[in-house]
Amino acid sequence: MSFFENIRMAFSSIAANKMRALLTMLGIIIGISAVITITTLGSTLRTTILRALSSMGGNSFLAYINEKEVEGLDDDDYYLTSEDMITLNMLRELEEQYPGEFKVAASTGSSSATVVNSEKQYINVQIQGVLNGYLDSFGLKLKAGRNITMADNEQNKHSAIVSDIFVRQYFRNGEEPIGQNIEVSFENGNPFEFTIVGVYKYSELKLNSFPAGTKEIDKVTPIYLPYNVINDMKAMPEEGFYNLQIFYDLSVENSVAYTQICDFFDEQYKENRMWNVYIYNIQDEVEIYDMIINILTIIFSVIAAISLIVGGVGVMNIMLVSVTERTREIGIRKALGAKRSTIKLQFLIEAIIICLIGGVIGILIGLLNSELVGVIANNIVSSNPDYSDLLGNISISPSVGAIVISIIFSTLTGVFFGLYPAGKAAKMDPIDALRYD
Amino acid sequence: MAKTIIQMINIIKRYYIGQPNELQILNGISLDIHEGEFVSIVGASGSGKSTLMNMIGALDRPTEGEYFLDGTDISRLNDKQLSNIRNQKIGFVFQTFNLISRTNALKNVELPMMYAGVPRKERSRRAMELLELVGMKDRYTHQPNELSGGQKQRVAIARAMANDPAIILADEPTGALDTKTGHLVMNIFHKLHKQEGKTIVLITHSPELASETERIITISDGSVISDTLENTAENAGAENTEVSGE
Repeated sequence: MSFFENIRMAFSSIAANKMRALLTMLGIIIGISAVITITTLGSTLRTTILRALSSMGGNSFLAYINEKEVEGLDDDDYYLTSEDMITLNMLRELEEQYPGEFKVAASTGSSSATVVNSEKQYINVQIQGVLNGYLDSFGLKLKAGRNITMADNEQNKHSAIVSDIFVRQYFRNGEEPIGQNIEVSFENGNPFEFTIVGVYKYSELKLNSFPAGTKEIDKVTPIYLPYNVINDMKAMPEEGFYNLQIFYDLSVENSVAYTQICDFFDEQYKENRMWNVYIYNIQDEVEIYDMIINILTIIFSVIAAISLIVGGVGVMNIMLVSVTERTREIGIRKALGAKRSTIKLQFLIEAIIICLIGGVIGILIGLLNSELVGVIANNIVSSNPDYSDLLGNISISPSVGAIVISIIFSTLTGVFFGLYPAGKAAKMDPIDALRYD
Repeated sequence: MAKTIIQMINIIKRYYIGQPNELQILNGISLDIHEGEFVSIVGASGSGKSTLMNMIGALDRPTEGEYFLDGTDISRLNDKQLSNIRNQKIGFVFQTFNLISRTNALKNVELPMMYAGVPRKERSRRAMELLELVGMKDRYTHQPNELSGGQKQRVAIARAMANDPAIILADEPTGALDTKTGHLVMNIFHKLHKQEGKTIVLITHSPELASETERIITISDGSVISDTLENTAENAGAENTEVSGE
């Protein structure tokens, strides 16, 4: 008797008692759907949080000046001069060595300024000199144009990136802002002309939030200018940077970028007697979050899986009833030549198929649950623009591993809890079984 | 003389061995049944008739003695080998029909062939043939609960024939049927005996039914008390009419 014949027989036997089979499966269905829901939500939570984290600087390193360990030098002997700082020159070399890969976030302090629009309205703004990675450090996105580049800094270009709010404040007739010149009056009264090269999307969540009821014209948003331009205007310009946040392009692997940046600064500070640059990898921190979410998912899944045991006991119970109920059938089958192993396989396969059907239904319900939670979560997120800015569209990512494990687990449940009833059926004495009423 | 199909030598069956209530059911039965014989085993309740039937049907093993079925010594086989013997050499017909419920007539007849590993197409072809032989071809899709007693028994006989067994072992096959239907079923046995040359062992408590057979073995208190050959031509000839649907 072939394996497929056993399966066909099991299906017809289950079909003969549909309601009972369904009730038997219920425990398995609930257990598996709980596991799938939890693992799917866990992996969705994980990808969403990791994406939010990386949008806030997960793909970056912190670089800061650090003491070299030099023999014969005490803590008191270390002193830092302006020559030991990270210079713009070094950052230019970094750009040359790895074009487009690294972006450095650094800024001058911010100061206030005003701009007057065509309707003679005063627009208050903040002015800040920045390097090319500054927008990334706030997770801000360009809506149009380009970022402030290293070239803008070196060549002291009067380039500016403004907020979308500023565009509405200044260009009352909806003109194209890129390439337009604006006159910015600084606190000391001197006006400077800047060319708008980019427009970024303002985020209340990441920058300042405005008090309720603020009119659009009164909203103060930052205008970002090249670092050098602003630094040079200062009475005492900074000589270099003591610490920096450096972003790497997401197409580069963290470990690769980390090695590159470490090697680069080691080379730069090779000659320095007591200082080098220490690189802190933020990814290490992200990995801790990752681990915490994974552990929580596993714990909840195990709790959900316990209900599978309850489901399995239900299957065993019904299989025992079924074996007793079908004692006569077992006797007939044995009289007609069914071996013990044949009878055992018949009942075992029946138990496994009940569990497998339950498992598949459970998986489908679990996926449906997760989709439902996803729809609700997306509704909540999209009702708050700042959340949606940070989290984007939450896409439910079912864990394929959990689905595979669920199928294996429900099969094993069937085997484990089907073995005893099947063994009982196989061991029946055909004479007694035939006499059974 | 035809080939010996069943050879029992001094068969003893005891239950509760070694316990105070030890019970000896069969007290050294010896008998030979030859190919093509239509034999009835007669005895009152408690005579050991059922135990003997279980023994002949390879459902049970003797405590002592030897039993050769178609040349194989049954008393030395394990469970798996006994299953094979039951599957290949014996066709059971029971008093209570014992069809598998919720399974149609065709599938019931196919069952022994399924256990024998006969391919699906071949199985259903043979099953249809057998159902035709017992006049049940039109009802092959019917489930047992949609059939009358006589119809069920005819399906059961077709099933007993499935693997072309050495013997058909019928335990009170008309016991649950009315007289008219009982005759019909008996006619099928006669037909199988005459036309197919089957060896048939009929177990019954009814002397009337036994008188239809060629040879009557009477059991009492676990021993054979008589073994007589009947005038077969007269009996069988009178009863052997064509089988038709009920």
